[in-house]
Amino acid sequence: MQTDWTPVALSHDIPVASAAPGRIGDTALAIWRSASGRIAAWSDRCPHRGMRLSHGYVRGERLSCIYHGWSYGEDGGCKRIPAHPDLTPPESIRVPVFACREASGVVWVAEGQPAGAPPDLAGFRGLRSLHIAAATGAIAEVFGGDGPVLRVKLGPVAVIALVQAFGDETMLHLMAPESCDLATLDALSDAAEALRRNIEAEATA
Amino acid sequence: MSVGAMKDQWYPVGLISGVTEEGRDSLLLGEPIRIFLDGGTPAVTGEGERPLPVELRYGHVWTCPGTPTRPLFDIPEADQLGRRLVDVGVCRVRCSPLRAVENFLDIAHFPFVHTDILGSEPHTEVTRYEVGIREDVDEVWATKVQFFQPQAAKSAEGGITTDYMYRVCAPTCSVLYKTSPPMPGEWDVIALFVQPLTETLCDVWPWMALYDDDASMTDLIHFQQLIFVQDRSVLENQLPALLPLDPGMEIPTRADLTSVAYRRWLKRNGFTYGAQLVAA
Ligand code: FES
Ligand SMILES: [Fe+2]
Repeated sequence: MQTDWTPVALSHDIPVASAAPGRIGDTALAIWRSASGRIAAWSDRCPHRGMRLSHGYVRGERLSCIYHGWSYGEDGGCKRIPAHPDLTPPESIRVPVFACREASGVVWVAEGQPAGAPPDLAGFRGLRSLHIAAATGAIAEVFGGDGPVLRVKLGPVAVIALVQAFGDETMLHLMAPESCDLATLDALSDAAEALRRNIEAEATA
Repeated sequence: MSVGAMKDQWYPVGLISGVTEEGRDSLLLGEPIRIFLDGGTPAVTGEGERPLPVELRYGHVWTCPGTPTRPLFDIPEADQLGRRLVDVGVCRVRCSPLRAVENFLDIAHFPFVHTDILGSEPHTEVTRYEVGIREDVDEVWATKVQFFQPQAAKSAEGGITTDYMYRVCAPTCSVLYKTSPPMPGEWDVIALFVQPLTETLCDVWPWMALYDDDASMTDLIHFQQLIFVQDRSVLENQLPALLPLDPGMEIPTRADLTSVAYRRWLKRNGFTYGAQLVAA
């Protein structure tokens, strides 16, 4: 499957009014959700002194940096500098913003101007994201296939694995069929954890 | 990376009270060093057991991996009667030693990083202050710095506006002077001595000379450690890890004048270990 979009997180891992770190290629991301539920992915670097914005805090529709409290609006522009409460920050102070969409419980990010919509994975929902300390090749071997969107079996259940390859590390965002009950989801989550341990053990063996 | 002019400066490498016969291995500017008692006196050696110059001051053992171009800086308050001298101990931080010093010079972060201790919203404004280089001693000084604090020191009760002065006396050492709550008209002295292990790893040795007769030594140490642990959560998450010395990478405002002066002073003196230059 060819797409300009990269899966960077599962929607349920970014609750309302929170921020978390992510990655696209070599770029560190701050993925955050506003109080009204709007999702966004920005460069994870405050233009002031380089503090990671993923450590910041959300108030209303703005993300603020934890170091000196500079706050940024929807467009990535700086709206307030607490050390100078009477100053209107110049337009030029701005955090790079990435194209970001949510579909089927997945947060998708793209560099530049993506063509088309993120892949449609109707019938599935986010299970969990796994950080695996192993190259993507090791994972392809276990799953018997490669590419960014894998349809594979976890135990008896057909799941989807969204793969982010980072050299000798891999992020897997796993999706389960929407029809799964809670007990099955629990079992799948344990199976995913076991899978991670296996792959890491194989990779270091 | 060349160590350059920083090789000839003084650095803290441990508490005087902590040196033992069997000694301890450490790093200084990326090179192995050893600190030990030699006939009861602290000594430091570099690579190949080369003896390094040693000074014992302000509770710490000081050394210089090259040839010192000037004596160890003076903190006259260390000898004033009535002050309590506090060795806080060590805190290891995965950051550039220069970023650690720059953070120490910064007040605008108090309400956000040291919430309800050194600052609190909505008292976030940084008023105009003065910064300059004292050419006779080649030190960066910031004066007339003021900030509103809910609990400025262990001995402070309720909020007050605190006066500060900052001085950078060596590339990785800074001293701050702040209004002493129990002794109006006097300044408490808090120093940050940073040992650069590598360009992105340092041991920070805070030290204080305070007018505070009430708090126990343990409380004073814990208070300072709490503050520094909060700073560490920022210091280990700045990108890039090295301190950018050329303008363009970061955006200073008037509140950052001390940082701007510190960066210029580092560049002018060739103190670039732990720094990033555009023309690398
Ligand atoms: S580094 Fe973000 S506000 Fe200062
Ligand atoms: Fe601080």
